[in-house]
Amino acid sequence: MVNKLNQDLISSLIANNSKVLDIGCGNGDLLLHLEKTKNINGQGIEISPKGVQESVSKGLSVIQGDADIDLINFPNNAFDIVILSHTLQATHKPKEVLTEMLRIGKKCIISIPNFGYWKYRFQMLFLGIMPITKTLSEPWYSTPNIHLCTIKDFINLCEILNISINGAFRNTTYSIKKINKPNRYINNLLSIEGIFVLSNNIK
Amino acid sequence: MGPNKILDTNKYFIICSNVLGGCMGTTGPSSINEQKNVQYAMNFPVFTIKDMVNLQLALIDNLEIEQLFSVIGGSLGGMQVLEWAASYPEKIYSAIPIATSYRHSAQNIAFHEVGRQAIMNDPNWQLGNYYNEKQKPRHGLSVARMIAHITYLSEGAFQKKFGRDMQSKVLSWGFDADFQVESYLRHQGTSFVDRFDANSYLYITRAMDYFDLTGPYNGELSSAFKNTKCKFLIISFTSDWLFPSSESLAIVKALNKTAADISFIEVNSDKGHDSFLLEVTDFYQILTGFISGAARKKGL
Repeated sequence: MVNKLNQDLISSLIANNSKVLDIGCGNGDLLLHLEKTKNINGQGIEISPKGVQESVSKGLSVIQGDADIDLINFPNNAFDIVILSHTLQATHKPKEVLTEMLRIGKKCIISIPNFGYWKYRFQMLFLGIMPITKTLSEPWYSTPNIHLCTIKDFINLCEILNISINGAFRNTTYSIKKINKPNRYINNLLSIEGIFVLSNNIK
Repeated sequence: MGPNKILDTNKYFIICSNVLGGCMGTTGPSSINEQKNVQYAMNFPVFTIKDMVNLQLALIDNLEIEQLFSVIGGSLGGMQVLEWAASYPEKIYSAIPIATSYRHSAQNIAFHEVGRQAIMNDPNWQLGNYYNEKQKPRHGLSVARMIAHITYLSEGAFQKKFGRDMQSKVLSWGFDADFQVESYLRHQGTSFVDRFDANSYLYITRAMDYFDLTGPYNGELSSAFKNTKCKFLIISFTSDWLFPSSESLAIVKALNKTAADISFIEVNSDKGHDSFLLEVTDFYQILTGFISGAARKKGL
């Protein structure tokens, strides 16, 4: 359900026939979905050999690469859309990755697992353990997620980096809601995921 | 390649021509120079990878093919694939260079040089004019092949295949092939001699040494691909130390600079450079997926 909502929203934000880069494309499900629904010209980067193999076996164009290292190779405005779906939290340098993706994509779509979600807070506060849920399923010692943040944190980072957010959404696990007032406490508490649309100002 | 295989002859028309300078069909040093009624031998002109591709282009022009759906090749074949993509991008829809490089490395040139010296120092080589002699430079060519064969495998592959296994239970206390690996290499060398021409070996290894796609572009590989619109699938193998993954990665990086449509994967295999000729499951699965995906996009 969470994934389906995320896919549908991202798809609705993309124009037909766009040139799309999906950074951290996993097994390529999102790219495949976008190829089918939006006839995109898709390209993926994925760090795990298994993910690359699965993606390429589906007929997708995917390279084995690392968001922290390989984005610098792409030229400015190389893609209409750059997607970073549930990947930012696994990068070593989230700030640099964000800046790079804004350089190479005319429009960027970022989704992050929201660490401010009440279930995570509950587990920390009452159980005293690092949260484990369906979305963040790995225990602390083996998780690739080294830079987790909340919806509020992300909005703050955009302010620091002078990035204007053109659209913000939250996933309540039942539906996607538009975030109209970024500072509302409830956005952070009741959403498992935040999805943001950013665009660059590179001519 | 074959009916219902990855390169499906039921679905595709597959062109596989002999290499320029070889000895299996296309003109090479062992061919007769009709003006002089004698083999070309060392009078055959030194040729390049681009010459090989130009010849293939002439072939497809002659077959009246406007665009190839795909060009695929490993090692020397991969160099030809890259040359196609750089020189005739409009002529190909997709390119699959495997276990290859955009230029021959110093180490690879070094290995080739040792192989060539083995041939040219064989007294039967006779400056290349051995075609009408009883004795051919068999030893030289055989040693060249033995050296090359080592580079096609990996340390792990050798260890796994032979270890220190012996031919017999007792040592010869001499220089016979005591170890199975020795006997294997000797066999590889001598069986190669029966099907390959020593002069062709000199010329073809030279063509690989001279290959450098960055040559005309001041070392900037991405310039070689700036007009390329084709889909790429680049594959390297973890244990390939002859054409290591770093070579493929340099190509990936250059293609990313042009925002080309590209897939790259380093396939896990302990079989060294030879992996591209062997049945490696992951490799087969990737090839199948890429080809069917490209066919879907091309509307085939």
